[in-house]
Amino acid sequence: MLLGLGITFVAFVLTELLPGDPAAANLGQRAIGDPAAVQAFREHYGLDKPLPVQYAVYLQHLVHGDLGESEQSHRPVLTDLREYVPATAELAVTSIIIAFALGIALGILAAVRRNKFTDQLLRVVSLSGISMPTFWLALVAIYVFFFKLGWVPGSERLDPGTFAPPHVTGLYTVDALLSGQTDVFTNAVQHLILPAFVLAAYNIGLLTRFTRSAVLEVINNDYIQAARAKGLPERTVVLRHVLRAALPPIITVGGLAFANVMTGTVLVEKIFAWPGIGNYAFLSATTLDLPAIMGVSLFVAIVYIVVNFVVDVLYGVIDPRVRVG
Amino acid sequence: MGRSAVNPTLLEVRKLRIHLPTASGMSTVVDGVDFEVRRGEVFGIAGESGSGKTMSVLALLGLLPDGAVVEGSAKYDGIELLGLKGPSMREIRGAEIAMVFQDPMTSLHPMLSVERQLTEHVRYHLGVSARQARIRAAQLLREVRIPDPESALGGYPHQFSGGMRQRIAIAIALACNPKLLIADEPTTALDVTVQAGVLRLLDRLRVEAGLSVVMITHDLGVMSSIAEWLTVMYAGRVVESGRTADVLARPRHPYTAGLLAALPHPEAPAETALRAIKGAPPSPLARPAGCAFHPRCDYARPSCSTSVPALVPIGEGRTLACPVDPLIA
Amino acid sequence: MTVQQLPAPARFRISLRRRPGTIASAWRQPLAIAGMVLAGVWIFIAVFVPFLAPYDPLHQTDLLLAPPTAAHLFGTDELGRDVFSRVLWGSRLSIPIAFFLVVGAVVIGGTLGALAGYFGGVVEEVVMRAADLVFAFPTIILAMAVTAALGPSLQNAVLALLIVFWPSYARVVRGLVVSLKQADYVSATRLLGSSSRRALMVDVLPNVAGPVLVLATLDVGNAVLLLAGLSFLGLGSPPPFAEWGSMVNVGTQYFERWWMGTFPGFAILSVVLAFNFLGDSLRDALDPRSSWGGQQ
Repeated sequence: MLLGLGITFVAFVLTELLPGDPAAANLGQRAIGDPAAVQAFREHYGLDKPLPVQYAVYLQHLVHGDLGESEQSHRPVLTDLREYVPATAELAVTSIIIAFALGIALGILAAVRRNKFTDQLLRVVSLSGISMPTFWLALVAIYVFFFKLGWVPGSERLDPGTFAPPHVTGLYTVDALLSGQTDVFTNAVQHLILPAFVLAAYNIGLLTRFTRSAVLEVINNDYIQAARAKGLPERTVVLRHVLRAALPPIITVGGLAFANVMTGTVLVEKIFAWPGIGNYAFLSATTLDLPAIMGVSLFVAIVYIVVNFVVDVLYGVIDPRVRVG
Repeated sequence: MGRSAVNPTLLEVRKLRIHLPTASGMSTVVDGVDFEVRRGEVFGIAGESGSGKTMSVLALLGLLPDGAVVEGSAKYDGIELLGLKGPSMREIRGAEIAMVFQDPMTSLHPMLSVERQLTEHVRYHLGVSARQARIRAAQLLREVRIPDPESALGGYPHQFSGGMRQRIAIAIALACNPKLLIADEPTTALDVTVQAGVLRLLDRLRVEAGLSVVMITHDLGVMSSIAEWLTVMYAGRVVESGRTADVLARPRHPYTAGLLAALPHPEAPAETALRAIKGAPPSPLARPAGCAFHPRCDYARPSCSTSVPALVPIGEGRTLACPVDPLIA
Repeated sequence: MTVQQLPAPARFRISLRRRPGTIASAWRQPLAIAGMVLAGVWIFIAVFVPFLAPYDPLHQTDLLLAPPTAAHLFGTDELGRDVFSRVLWGSRLSIPIAFFLVVGAVVIGGTLGALAGYFGGVVEEVVMRAADLVFAFPTIILAMAVTAALGPSLQNAVLALLIVFWPSYARVVRGLVVSLKQADYVSATRLLGSSSRRALMVDVLPNVAGPVLVLATLDVGNAVLLLAGLSFLGLGSPPPFAEWGSMVNVGTQYFERWWMGTFPGFAILSVVLAFNFLGDSLRDALDPRSSWGGQQ
């Protein structure tokens, strides 16, 4: 709570203190020369009032769910967010799922084959994953898989001419399934694959490394040997006993992974013309659209808080020793 | 009066040698060990840490660390255990031969429920349904005297005391009705007051189930209370064996005598000094030539440093690896 | 009653003895060697590029958008400039800046962290809350906002990244200072005389240097990545400078001319990889428990 307030405060102060006139950024060359237009702009957005007043006004609006109006789109920021969040959510969630599934699997593989060739290879692969410029990977991926091979589409959420399914959640995949439009569903999935994988690359590398070390911490514990002594097949021992015990530190990475995804969406959405928050954040930052910046920052902060909360809850689910009572 | 009488042999270990890889090459942690366990009897292996007792039994279940080299033979019910392939080994583990480890704090999985840990191998080995396994699990908990078994099933190891955890571990080990139970220092991590209860439990269960038990411990007091037959190991070799009562009352090997003498006597006067065996046990990499104990032995002769003493029967079911044999009463 | 000079607590001595051996062993690992070689190559390029690049990176020719040939190893871009030369020259931009960035972050973050740890109280609260706030923002959004507001230029991008990087070091250094302070109080009665205090410094510095060095090495890679990212978004150095990120940006517009975007990206990848290899090996060497190194 305090952190959230702090964030709004900092964002506000930052955007105010930084040199650069939002009016100039938003009105364009011609309008700047016209004092009346500038004045109208300022009045509309309350930029002519003293700073603390502006902040108080903002907070007041916030409490009422009013995030202000975007200088750029001339719509309430809340509306903007509502439109763009589902797109990013769909991408982010898909990406996280891919990253965790692949990362954990590879991490286990590397741990079980410790110091053998597979392990060394995976070490290089995972280091490459975290060294790759996301935007470059996106470019190469589009070139190879779309341009040359034609396996998947290279941009946007649906083929031009395909209409979005009836809006329930805003997630095209879910909505398409809900209304039984399997062809739309397939199309949406096709469009998701490439950007989701590109976005996941860094996290796959990260998770492989974390999983490997978590598994190695656990694998020599007595209870693992006891499980083997019971005659259980190695697969069961690894997947049920070892993985379970190694999960807590891996879950911790979940928060970090989300942060990476947030960062990555800015680049990925731009390249894939994905109409999401990342794109919106970029536009608002470059045009100094203050309400929009504040809105995005606030949204991201809330997502962090929620994710951290979920991680804490998951801890309790996985490790009974952590539960209260 | 030998053991060859009525009781058939369940486990026969001959010339067991185990070499482990270390930073400075292979080290021989078990160097030619022989022993037998019969049906329904409690067989004790005594020795300090590093004597190779744990490794010997781990070899039986194929649980040695990677890179270990094993020689010799270990026949369980006619089946050769050493070198047994995966699927066959898994059939033996838990179902025929089960193990209870030393520290119940670490040998039970902290994140899996008691029920899960009691039933997973039962379902795997015996193919029973979840419901049946659960009923059996509750029954097992009752047998090991865990109060309120039904709710204990839903609990987790950290919610139980050390003694109770070890009882749960014993229940887990016995869940598939194995014929042989290996208990590696089962009471060492427990309070003295709790030890007796666990030992009584083990004794009762093995009588009821006709179970054979291999009891590993360095605690001679525990050994005397539960084991019928005893083998004393030192530095990877057997130095003496026989009926526990005999060996402990009339030890023939200087090491055994030293161990016994080191025990504080409850009725000795308060100022009696504790008598330790001089020196320290050798590391497997630096085992003395000849008899491994000779540097610490009060009765050592020149020949002791050159030839490894053979384990020879000396009557009454006893064997001894000491040509000097200085302690004949 | 005489006061005796007791020897320094054993653990300090152990850590001192461990240090030289472990850093030296890092160099022998194949990954570290690969990293060093790669980093060395790039640093060499950055220094000697005027002699290595066949063409002037800013020189425009009529040979527009030409695919790679013998004359132009990486082809030419939309203004007829030799991509190979531009890639080589890019190292002069990215690498020194990344270094400068990391050194700056270490100095600023380290100092703030040390002050926070040493003085505690209000100072610590302020510094740590500031660090938390920075951590709470996704890196790129913060960087974008700062750069956009200040105007797209290399200096501003660097400033933005400085803001983003310093908290990690502040945290690490503060943590270490705090634990040392506690050690101080615990051994207060045993640490008598200035020579012990000096021994403490000799022990302290290596203890601090280790984790900071690992973090810094890895951050050089991160810095290059982020800088390129910002340039890609148009927030870094404006054209016509040969900056890798902006080159990839242009490359996305001339999509079928794959050479324009791919090679600069490869350059970024290889530099970052080099420093990640190095950092990873360093971390293994300094933390024997860390899993990717050592025998077990």
